[in-house]
Amino acid sequence: MAGTVIGEGLTIEGDISGDEEIVIHGNLRGRLTTTDAVTVGGTAVVGADISGASLSVAGQVTGDVTASERVDIQAGGKLVGDIKAARFTIADGASFKGNVDMEV
Amino acid sequence: MAEGSVIGAGTVVSGHVRGQGSLEILGRVEGDVSVTGNVVIGSAGRVRGNISGAELRISGQVQGDLRGTVAVFLEAGARVAGDISGPRVGIAPGALARGHVQTDGEPASSAARVPAAAARPAAPPARVATAPTPAKPEPKLAPAPIRVEAKAPAVPPAKFEAKAPLPPPPKLAPPKPEIRKVEPARAVPAPSQAEFTPVRPLKPEPRRPPPPVVPVLSKGTKAKKKKTQD
Repeated sequence: MAGTVIGEGLTIEGDISGDEEIVIHGNLRGRLTTTDAVTVGGTAVVGADISGASLSVAGQVTGDVTASERVDIQAGGKLVGDIKAARFTIADGASFKGNVDMEV
Repeated sequence: MAEGSVIGAGTVVSGHVRGQGSLEILGRVEGDVSVTGNVVIGSAGRVRGNISGAELRISGQVQGDLRGTVAVFLEAGARVAGDISGPRVGIAPGALARGHVQTDGEPASSAARVPAAAARPAAPPARVATAPTPAKPEPKLAPAPIRVEAKAPAVPPAKFEAKAPLPPPPKLAPPKPEIRKVEPARAVPAPSQAEFTPVRPLKPEPRRPPPPVVPVLSKGTKAKKKKTQD
């Protein structure tokens, strides 16, 4: 199980930092920093800069993303912000607006 | 899956956490926590901020106020510096708490009020009975009036009350008048009234629920009983 789970209906205003997986189904406003994977669920609304090993977005994210491994935007996911990651995928049905830096 | 939230052991949240559902804190939170569900703080959990929720179960460290709308429990190993309030508060042995603890709306207080109210109407007859007696002893010395009261008027009214309106609880009736006889006997009529009014409401409340309290009073009353019997 994920180290940290922000359930649906829960709102965090502030910074989250850690060294374990973080799953968000609720709301987050602030900043998110971890050394592990980040998952943004379909019900999540995140207004935060995200930094992690990988990011999977099924909900809404507004903010810049830095991932050491990869970023995936799932179908139905929405991401507005700049992305810096070695690998980046956008699924059919996802929406994205921003710059991509794949460190070529 | 969404309901339960967990802040893992390796996670630090600096900011406010609020919303619906339950929350388990195994890591650190620097900020207020306010949720509608239960809050569990693991033994490694640390929170610096106020926490409010339905049922709080604390095993870690908290620097801030705890407010549980249902209950607050401090488990062994918990360290809390702050005020604790809730209808039910439990502090287990091994838990550390520093602050004000308040249990709101406890059932005991409401139960205590009912007998207290019932006790008050019983009090006035005793005053009436004692009132005439002090008139006689006033000129005399303090110890003397006690005997006079006990002999003449005090005993008969107790019997009458017990026989006529309250057949089943005659045992309860006699001790009550005895108690009041003692009080008026000690003090002089005029200034005594001010003293009596605070004393009486306080005494009957704790005494009536537990009848065995009688021995405490009986220091004086027993002696009087014996004297009167003799």
